[in-house]
Amino acid sequence: MSEQDEGTFLDPARMQAVLKSRLTRRGFMKGAGTGAAAIGLGSLLAACGGGTSKGGSGKTGWDISKIYSGQAGDTINFANWPLYIDYAKDKNGTRYIPSLKKFKDETGITVNFAEVIQGNPDFFGKLQPQLAAGQDTGWDIIVITNGTQFTALVANDWVYPLDPAKHPNFDQYAAPWAKNPSYDPNNEHSMPWQSGLTGIGVNSKLVNGPITKMDDLANPDKVGKARVDMLTEDMPNFVMINLGIDPVTSGPAEWKEAAAWLLKQRDAGVIRAYTDQGYIDDMTAGNLSAFMAWSGDVLYYALWAGYDNLSFVFPEGGALHWNDNMMIPAHAANPVGAMELMDFYYRPDIATMVTEWVLYMSPVPKTQELILADAKKAEAQNYKGYANKLYQTAKSPYLYPSAEFLAKTSYGRNLTTDAERQEWDSIFLPISQGG
Amino acid sequence: MGMRGATLEAPPAQEPKAERGAYASHKRLVPYWLLTPGGAWLLLFLVFPLFILLYTSLESGGLLSGGFRFTWQFSNYQTVLQQYQKYFVRSLVYSIIVTIACLVLAYPMTYWIAFYGGRRKSSFLLLILLPFFVSFVIRTIQWKFLLGDSGMILGPLKNLGLLPRAFHVLATPFAVVAGITYNYLPFTALPLYVALERIDKRLVEAAKDLYSTRWQAFRHVVVPLSVPGMFAAFLLTFVPATGDYVNAAILGGPGTTMIGNIIQTKFLSENLYNQAAALSGILMAAMVVLVSIYARVLGTEEVVRAAAA
Repeated sequence: MSEQDEGTFLDPARMQAVLKSRLTRRGFMKGAGTGAAAIGLGSLLAACGGGTSKGGSGKTGWDISKIYSGQAGDTINFANWPLYIDYAKDKNGTRYIPSLKKFKDETGITVNFAEVIQGNPDFFGKLQPQLAAGQDTGWDIIVITNGTQFTALVANDWVYPLDPAKHPNFDQYAAPWAKNPSYDPNNEHSMPWQSGLTGIGVNSKLVNGPITKMDDLANPDKVGKARVDMLTEDMPNFVMINLGIDPVTSGPAEWKEAAAWLLKQRDAGVIRAYTDQGYIDDMTAGNLSAFMAWSGDVLYYALWAGYDNLSFVFPEGGALHWNDNMMIPAHAANPVGAMELMDFYYRPDIATMVTEWVLYMSPVPKTQELILADAKKAEAQNYKGYANKLYQTAKSPYLYPSAEFLAKTSYGRNLTTDAERQEWDSIFLPISQGG
Repeated sequence: MGMRGATLEAPPAQEPKAERGAYASHKRLVPYWLLTPGGAWLLLFLVFPLFILLYTSLESGGLLSGGFRFTWQFSNYQTVLQQYQKYFVRSLVYSIIVTIACLVLAYPMTYWIAFYGGRRKSSFLLLILLPFFVSFVIRTIQWKFLLGDSGMILGPLKNLGLLPRAFHVLATPFAVVAGITYNYLPFTALPLYVALERIDKRLVEAAKDLYSTRWQAFRHVVVPLSVPGMFAAFLLTFVPATGDYVNAAILGGPGTTMIGNIIQTKFLSENLYNQAAALSGILMAAMVVLVSIYARVLGTEEVVRAAAA
């Protein structure tokens, strides 16, 4: 870190941005009703544009040697989620991104970083017409969570395969869980940007006894009536994991088993709502006793917002693990530069800059010792609060999960055909929609 | 009308031809010029999106097989109607309750303002409209805090032992219906007020002179004359309330999902654009049909005729 960065350790704007990142990335802007209305028309127009793509398996469409044959271009257009990267202020008070400045200094390539992704489905909806028409989307790197949209991008050949020869840092420093994930064998199309867990959030004031496992979420004696919140998108995989089913290899029979558990839970009268987001309001208002939650959201409120009655529980049966992945959209103007930048973020010193800001699970485990070193440095300079935050970050089992933890997580089922997806939806959607 | 008058009129013989022609064509074009801004707006933002909606609703395909293509897929309509009938019915039921509740709440209020408001009429009206100055979504979220399980209202009542601990208002149909009612009350109140305000108060005096009781005067004079207002209030409340999804999303629970929420999920989570469009198309058609029936029964023309008779 440079001198001026250290000077901003306790900058309130910086702290605020740190806090916000946790809200915005997963919990806050994930397409609440407000934003949805504005997005609607765009998606509608997008939906109109489909039709000329070749479809296919995504295995044969592109030739790596051709895509990456040229030189890196002068600029890279990088689409990402809000406040999901490191920020600092220069002497004039202008916000900039230190890690990208470093990239520019080292390579001469300018990166246009845009916080334009506020939800996978709607960002996908915006790109779909160009992708289907075989046009450049304007982005060289996009960040998409493993799930339906990710699979669709790969299945339709709408992203370039990565060049395995062009990610040496990734090969050397990436965490085992970041390599060869079940949803993208051999990282053929993606490298994780940041990552997190879906587990259980608990309000100790409103539960009877400790909450340790998923079945507690269906027990009115423990959680009370109408006090549990479930995350619609994550719950099928979450339930399968906790029932001891491996979601990755699951089929309709296992899905129905999970649905049966969810129905049992619903009939127990404990459910308040099924949400895609927005559980945070209910969580802080004290309407929820226990709820499915993203690790980062609960940790932020528990550690930094003074809600000491809230805690994050890693269920006995396991948790859902999700990755936000960097991908290169088909027909991108600068795939060579994009590869270079993606690998740049696997350099431990660069990854550390990001993790100290966004406080999510880093795909580079080596960041842990670098953050500890920074904590010591901050302590030596008497920035006690900031040092403490860095210690908490480096020691959090949810940022640096143990092998034992990770063994109990899964990326969930990858739905690879429309028929599969329809069957999945027909089993799980009626639960949340009160069918 | 103006246009027709201009074309049908026999031209005065004395007028020079050129001047008359220019004058007439100019006059003929005026209504069109007046229509242009609004017409273009509607064309761009109503007709064009409607076309896209219908076009999208007839597409087939899937997210994982190359996107969606236009194939005259009429079966989309059948599929979604079968699957989501229940939610249409639920939305209509909620919306009817909301509309009635709004009328019941707004009528006495606007009646009082129109007849007894005196010089302060406008101030009272402003009070009704005041919530409009705050965003719809923010107001609904405030309700969530207000009605929270241990919030400002339920918290103290529970602490006093007047309510059981497990009692809750949020996540019930009542919360959703009440929320929509609150949000659409001004849409009911305004047209009702306009209709009531327009009533000639001397008609009520005349009715009393003819030995009617206050109730009879109200029943046979005021109510019939306010029917056009009720009709407008119905339109402005019932139609948007049926498609509302914000209240169900914020105040509701698993048992209160409305058709608007289904459309939102289809569009923004499932990315099944064709089905979302088909659902929207059905909702729109259902609204047009219902409103037409309602207009036949309580049509404004008949009302005007009845009032004249």
